[in-house]
Amino acid sequence: MYFVLTTLLDGPMHGHAILKGVGELSGGRVRPSVGTLYGILERLSERGVIAVDREEVVNGRSRRYFRITDAGQAVVRAEARRMHAAAALVINRATFAG
Amino acid sequence: MTPLERRYRRLLRAYPHDYRSAYGDELLDVLLESAAPLRTVPEPREATGLVIGGLRERLTRAGRGSSWANGVHLGVTALCAAQLAALLPYAPAIPLWTSLSALALLAVLRGRVRPALPLVLLTGAKAVAVASGEPLFDHLLLPVEPGFLTDAPLFALSEPPPVATDYALALGGLLVLAVYGRPLTPRSWWWWAVVPPMAWAGPAWMESGTVYPISLSRMAVELALLGMALWAGRLSHDPRWALGATIYVTVASARLWDHAADLTRQHLAYWGLLVFLAGATALVPFGHWRRASTPRLD
Repeated sequence: MYFVLTTLLDGPMHGHAILKGVGELSGGRVRPSVGTLYGILERLSERGVIAVDREEVVNGRSRRYFRITDAGQAVVRAEARRMHAAAALVINRATFAG
Repeated sequence: MTPLERRYRRLLRAYPHDYRSAYGDELLDVLLESAAPLRTVPEPREATGLVIGGLRERLTRAGRGSSWANGVHLGVTALCAAQLAALLPYAPAIPLWTSLSALALLAVLRGRVRPALPLVLLTGAKAVAVASGEPLFDHLLLPVEPGFLTDAPLFALSEPPPVATDYALALGGLLVLAVYGRPLTPRSWWWWAVVPPMAWAGPAWMESGTVYPISLSRMAVELALLGMALWAGRLSHDPRWALGATIYVTVASARLWDHAADLTRQHLAYWGLLVFLAGATALVPFGHWRRASTPRLD
């Protein structure tokens, strides 16, 4: 979910672009299947952290573009701050620097 | 249509029909865009993702509406499926009662509580009468011999109390739902698929000579359903699945209690698994509430 929301900070995207974004952000470590990705998108939509921005028809098939909401931006930033604080506990120790 | 598209379309059937109508093409578009060129068979992880995603979507939809009413409906559905399974092997001898039991399951599946009530009452009264060896409504020759799926006569291994408990709980649940009065969401047609394996007395896994044998097929169906209830409870953080599981396990426990003196270690392991899964299904929503005090992206 974190990588999906972080990807959407760059603007509205459709499913395939989100998949590519997640792969790039995670250095290829996170590669959700399409079924898993759409399960995540449905749950994030229900929680109101993302919303459908628009729909387009490409090759005769409808395609939803998702965008992160204000609530979603607040959630992902809070999560980033929490992880940053947790990482700082280790990084700021003198023994780690040495 | 390419072979890959055809295979992905088949896998997309795991999703509910209306979800597939709305978003099936969109998922297919992403699947085909993500596939390697010249690929004709879906990647295993994509196939698994679609099956799990479809099941998750179905469970999410099944978890809408009033939690307790849906939980009671789920429990009554499982009981009616098991009641039909108990009569199914004897359909050639008692076609009327088997048909009424099938109609009861149909009414319950469609959420039609009022038509289901008299059907369950009638079949229940007849079932208790057969288990007691008493005539009721018609002159049925006892014992009722099976036509297929099993060798034992009808209710040869059951005393009247557990049979009465089974139908009384189903009736009680239906009465509660009738008083509730609001429309119920119809349940999946897949419930019909659990009836034959629950009715089948094989494969035998308990030692020969066991007084109260339970077939491997029945046990597998029950454990699979309870496992799905546990997964659904974990997904939805909702107690309805636990309520349905508890209703079913109560009846299963009553059946075992009836044979308390004859139970083997295999029976106790089976009962332990049923109770463990029902208990775990009841606990998973509480785990979520405890974690909810610290919002996280998990």
